[in-house]
Amino acid sequence: MKNNIRVERAIKNITQGELAEQVGVSRQTINTIESNKYVPSTVLALKIARVFGKPLEEVFMLEEGD
Amino acid sequence: MKSRFLFPYWCRYLGWGLVLLHVPLSMLGRARGMVNVLDKPSTGLFTGEHLFFICTSLVMVSGLFLVAFAKEKVEDEQIWQIRLDSLRWAIFINYLALIVSLVFIEDVGHMLDLNLYVPLVFFIIRFRWVIFRLNLSTSREG
Repeated sequence: MKNNIRVERAIKNITQGELAEQVGVSRQTINTIESNKYVPSTVLALKIARVFGKPLEEVFMLEEGD
Repeated sequence: MKSRFLFPYWCRYLGWGLVLLHVPLSMLGRARGMVNVLDKPSTGLFTGEHLFFICTSLVMVSGLFLVAFAKEKVEDEQIWQIRLDSLRWAIFINYLALIVSLVFIEDVGHMLDLNLYVPLVFFIIRFRWVIFRLNLSTSREG
C-alpha cells in the first residue's frame, strides 16, 4: 500500500510531528508510514485522512500485488 | 491506543534499578558462601540458601519484567506490533534453547534458569534494538 501523506502534509504545511500529535501516535510511526515501511491500521488511516479532510482512497492507495 | 496490561513508563527505571541491585546482592551472597541452589544437591525448602536464591531471583526477574512490560513514552500501534513481534521471537528462542538443552544436557536444573531469564532478556534486547533502529532511521530522514 502506498500513500500521499508527504504530499498532503506539504499542501497543509504541517510537519510529521504535528501530524503525529493530531492523530495520537509517535513521529517515528508517521515517518515509517510515509516511507511505506509500516502499514497503519484502518483506524489510524481514517484518522490521518480526516486530518487532511480527504477520503481515505485519496491518501492511501493499493499497489499492484496487494 | 488503549494499552492494558502494561506498567507505567517510570517502572522501566525501577526495573533497571532492580536488575542492577541484583549484581551486588549476588556478589554479597557469594562472598558469604551462598551458592546458587541449582548448582548443588537440594538443601531443603526455605533454608538460608534457598531463601537467598528466592530473593535474588525475584529481584532479577521482577526487574526484567518491569523493564520488558513498561509503557513507552508514546505507546502507539506500531510499538504494539514491535512488542508482539519481539514476544513471538522470544518464545521461539526460549523453546529452541529448551529443546536443545533437553536433548544435549543431562542436568535439568538449568531449565528453571533458562525459562526465567531467556524470554525476558531476549525480548528486551530485540524490542530495544528495533526501536533504536526505528529512531535512527527517523533522525536520518529528518
